Amino acid sequence: MSEAATSTMAPPITVRRPRLRPRLIPPLVVLALLPFLPFAITVSDYTLNILMQATTYAMPVLGLAIVLGYTGQINLAQAAFFGLGAYAVALVTVTLGQSFWIGLPIGVALAAGLGFVLGLTTLRLGGHYLAMITISFQQIFDLVLNNWIAVTRGPDGIAGIARPSLFGWVLADARTYLVLCAAVLYAMVAFVWWLPSTRLGRAMRAVRENELAAEVTGVHTLRVKVVAFTISSALAGMGGVLFAAGFAYVSPDNFSFGRSVEFLTMVLLGGVQSPIGAALGTVLLILLPEWLRFLKGIYLAVYGLAVILIMVFMPEGIWGLIQTVWKRLARPAPVEVGRVRPLELDIPVADTSPILHLREVRKHFGGVKAVAGVDIQVSRGTVHALIGPNGSGKTTILNVLNGIYRPTAGGIVLDGEDVTGRSPHERAGRGLGRTFQNIRLFSALSALENVMVGAQRDGNPLPPGNAALRERALSALGFVGLADRAHLVVKNLPYGHQRLVEIARALAGHPKLLLLDEPAAGLNPVEKQSLVELLKRLRSAHGLTIFLIEHDMGLIEQVSDRISVINFGKKIAEGAPAEVLRHPDVIAAYLGTPGHAAA
Amino acid sequence: MNGSWGAVLAALVLSLPVRTAGADAIKVGLVTEITGPNAESGAYSVNGAKLALEEINAAGGVMGRQIDLKITDSQSTNPGAVLALSKMASEGGYTAFIGPVRSTQIQAMAPTIMKAGLPMMIGGTDPGLTHAKNRWVFRARPSDAYSAKVIAEYGTKTLGRKKWAIVHATDAFGTGGKNALLDALKERGVTPVLVQGFTSNTQDFTPIILAVKQSGADVVGTYIPNSPDVGIFSKQLRQLGVNAEWIGSPSLVTETAMKLGQEALHGIYSVSDFTPDANPEAKAYAEKYRKKYGVAPDFYSSWTYDAMKLVAEAIKKANSTKPEDLRNAILATQGYKGVEGTYNFDKNGDGLHGYNVVKNDKGKVAFITRIDFPPSQESHGGTASGSQ
Amino acid sequence: MLAINLQILFSGLAVGAIYALVSLGFVLIIRATNVVNFAQGDFPMVAAFAMLTLLSSLKLPYLLSFVLSLAVMAVVGVAFNYGVYYPLRNRTYLPVLISTLGAGIFMQNAVLAIFGPQPHPLPKVFRAQGFQVGGVFLDSQYLLILAVTLVAVGFQYFLFEYTLLGKKLQATSQDKDMARLVGIPVAGMITFTFVYSAALGGLAGILVAPILFVSIGMGSTIALKAFSATIIGGFGDVTGAIVGGLLLGVVEAFAAAYVSVPYKDAFAFLLVFVFLLLRPQGIFGEKVSEKA
Repeated sequence: MSEAATSTMAPPITVRRPRLRPRLIPPLVVLALLPFLPFAITVSDYTLNILMQATTYAMPVLGLAIVLGYTGQINLAQAAFFGLGAYAVALVTVTLGQSFWIGLPIGVALAAGLGFVLGLTTLRLGGHYLAMITISFQQIFDLVLNNWIAVTRGPDGIAGIARPSLFGWVLADARTYLVLCAAVLYAMVAFVWWLPSTRLGRAMRAVRENELAAEVTGVHTLRVKVVAFTISSALAGMGGVLFAAGFAYVSPDNFSFGRSVEFLTMVLLGGVQSPIGAALGTVLLILLPEWLRFLKGIYLAVYGLAVILIMVFMPEGIWGLIQTVWKRLARPAPVEVGRVRPLELDIPVADTSPILHLREVRKHFGGVKAVAGVDIQVSRGTVHALIGPNGSGKTTILNVLNGIYRPTAGGIVLDGEDVTGRSPHERAGRGLGRTFQNIRLFSALSALENVMVGAQRDGNPLPPGNAALRERALSALGFVGLADRAHLVVKNLPYGHQRLVEIARALAGHPKLLLLDEPAAGLNPVEKQSLVELLKRLRSAHGLTIFLIEHDMGLIEQVSDRISVINFGKKIAEGAPAEVLRHPDVIAAYLGTPGHAAA
Repeated sequence: MNGSWGAVLAALVLSLPVRTAGADAIKVGLVTEITGPNAESGAYSVNGAKLALEEINAAGGVMGRQIDLKITDSQSTNPGAVLALSKMASEGGYTAFIGPVRSTQIQAMAPTIMKAGLPMMIGGTDPGLTHAKNRWVFRARPSDAYSAKVIAEYGTKTLGRKKWAIVHATDAFGTGGKNALLDALKERGVTPVLVQGFTSNTQDFTPIILAVKQSGADVVGTYIPNSPDVGIFSKQLRQLGVNAEWIGSPSLVTETAMKLGQEALHGIYSVSDFTPDANPEAKAYAEKYRKKYGVAPDFYSSWTYDAMKLVAEAIKKANSTKPEDLRNAILATQGYKGVEGTYNFDKNGDGLHGYNVVKNDKGKVAFITRIDFPPSQESHGGTASGSQ
Repeated sequence: MLAINLQILFSGLAVGAIYALVSLGFVLIIRATNVVNFAQGDFPMVAAFAMLTLLSSLKLPYLLSFVLSLAVMAVVGVAFNYGVYYPLRNRTYLPVLISTLGAGIFMQNAVLAIFGPQPHPLPKVFRAQGFQVGGVFLDSQYLLILAVTLVAVGFQYFLFEYTLLGKKLQATSQDKDMARLVGIPVAGMITFTFVYSAALGGLAGILVAPILFVSIGMGSTIALKAFSATIIGGFGDVTGAIVGGLLLGVVEAFAAAYVSVPYKDAFAFLLVFVFLLLRPQGIFGEKVSEKA
């Protein structure tokens, strides 16, 4: 393992990711000029209609890229939000006789507002439940649209929606209107393209990869999901707004569950995790029916089959396939290891009170008393180990500590504050870091991105901005010796390195108290020794407290200051390693041969 | 984009076994539902148009030229209909169009129809379709303003029933029909004792039928477009012991509806724009259709048959394929004996102003009478709607 | 008044029984594979068409047609297992969910391509239309549905609680790896589950076809309602599926009668909303915590 760089005078690193390279400018210019093409060459009305459909449909599909692709939340109601925007414009312009430009913000706000509400349901639900709730929402919307005739004119729909006027000019010409739609679409694509590299974007992707780990690492998962839904619905609403004025007529059958499924298929076919994929999928699935008109009845059957095949063979979509090839060719700039700053881990110690007090904690699961009244105090700046036979309740204690479980009785005091009622991400925000027994990384993200999520926790003493986060993350990676692997996607890393990345992620949050759940699990003897060295270096950080569960007695003897022993949910011994490990009760509980040391 | 690619492909593949007459042929475009939930009725529409086409061409065509029929698929959706029409309009070279039977699709296509500037014969029955200031829309079926009037007239005058229950689907067709029927009954001094809507594809009508029973109605007027709904409703109506008369929209006497409802539909009345026994033209048409297609025709095919013939007649009379000339010729068409009735076009583009009344006589559709009204001159606000 | 309410109750129970039967199939698959099958409603539809072909086109006797139709469903179940579930069995729920959506679209449109879009009638099992009991008319097919559902539930209970096969199925659904370790052929168990579930769905379809007619869309609404019933009753719980189905049928019937007919369908979804927010485990389900 390499030592962290010693030079503290090195300027901050800016690791360049492939951004706006000069090579990309010509194609971007072409793209920007594309919408103006119909003015130069004659394009049939039919083509213009298709383009209008494609651009307005691409917007809700982009929304799906955010809520499903980035954040991993299923949404089968996207057509309803599309419809909200469309009907808002229809009602405002036709029924109320107001301008399109008043209808636009109302439509987007309405869609966003209901998206917000739907997002709130994710507090309780995920997965299939969420799918069902979104379907229910979609169906209710459909019923209201069809039956609330006084307002929506029912199945008749609303006709005669006029085109907007811009600076006194009515955009009656389809080509001009198309330019407007294209402009909005481009802005959205740029936004969706930029999002993953922001704080919010990383948080979204963390939620998708492993929601529990994200929550524990300090991501406010509910807020992230709600924001994802809100943005996604707003985009869909915008699409609906432009659709309504484009086609001049809206009716309920255009915004039904079938349409939601269509949007979903579009984003999956193109590539759910990319704005380009979303656009690609939209275009393909609008053109395909046109090209395949001759297949008539069989077309839809083939459609259904295609969905299954895409899921089985091409889950990343077409664009995803292209990207895997591209990624192999384009490599990001390597990290200059020598310029990585050393990791700041010291915690100012104000007093000598225990940093953690588990106060008579109980956790019962039905009749099973996993934790039956455990009281532990951990002193600042020490390494406190928790040991016990399998099934004694150690991990449960850790989970209660983290906030993953609510204790049945008792309380948790962290640095003088009662955090018993606080959610895991709030505790992370107060300086609680954690690693898991079975590694919980954000598999599809790079090592650097994983660790940056750790650095993003509330209350981390860092200057604002991405650069500071990146620096901190690199420092943490440097500390565990993986700075040179920062850009590798973690699922490709060997097990031992994944373990280290998880530790780095916790360290990046500058924790006061670090919880390690069997950090040596699955490591070979060489890796274990490295881990011991790492723990020793952590010990030397002034003020950092470590609370760890381990089975390897040799490791524990080398690093711990104090040990608590748990058996059947109760504490049976506590003290310095020497005394505890020779305590007859402890030996009786589970110790095998003494002196079982790591190699 | 690849619109031209698609157009070429479509043109190639979609030249169905219609006599692709020479380059001199007059092109007529048909937009109908080939795929999607309404594909059944779409197929019938094609049959009717093709039958007419063959007869016209066999008789030498019009103006010495053959007529070429091109068919595009609306996919049973609004955007699909718009795209289908827009594709044909963009291709160019068409003289006239025949449109779908769904009023919502026609409404969606309205701007495209205006832009194309070519006459289009439609089969939707929403009264508002011909009152939307669209000079290129002509209707080859009677609108629901008339179906409602006929139902009301026959029910109140001939059957002598005054306690009406109206049961209707809440879709475009059903709601429009309901509104028209309410108006028609009001004109005759009748207020219904029950008006009940339901969402199409309901599995169980028990609550509605119990309500009908409780209201003491002696006649039920219905606008129920879906055959399964008709089937279930009719069966449960008999099971729950409702003995009122029943007069409904044409969907009661389609082949499918009668197949599903069977005995439960015996003895009911319906208005129908197409009945084989209504007039000699209809009878002849039914024979020809049966001979060619092996099944009995219904209104889905009869109106396109009429539409095709009307277009040909208009071209003949105007002796031109120019849009304005054609338009004037259609509007001037009076006394044309079509399969659906005698066409007298009014200035709104409505050709028919009445319906047949038929009865389900032990499984056979028996023609009772025809009720016609003078062409309606007032313009509607477009609130009612309908299809079929 | 009482007669009217009894009539509504009866029709609600009968419709609810159909929801329950389809729900049972849902729940079985969920328990065994953790997959929510959005194509569950299409099993009844395929079976109904099979029955139509055998009974009406080929004119085979009723019982034989019935058995053969169930055999067809068994094949469909196997195909579903190997085509839709098996390739995706190690992925997260999302690809599988979407795959089942695709399977549903495929089944509906394949049937559409073969049979055309028209609905068709299917003869009832009994000649008698039904019985008049007091002021209430009991449709014979509805009675049959209720009876068969009871038998199906009883059979399922017996199968799961009292036979070795049932125990093996339960083991598979609770912990696949452990089941493998004790020698249970897990893949076979899962195939059996799909087959049984398809057959259950098929049974529901054959029973309800005389009333709702054989049509492409006959299964879609039922499926959504059945799914709602599963949630209301308790996701993954068999008793819950039954109770949820019956409850939903009755609530809908009364809501239609006394509140609003057009919005009748909305009640199912509103109920789902409410349950998911206040009691996601449904009436009978248990709260499950994830092991961290």
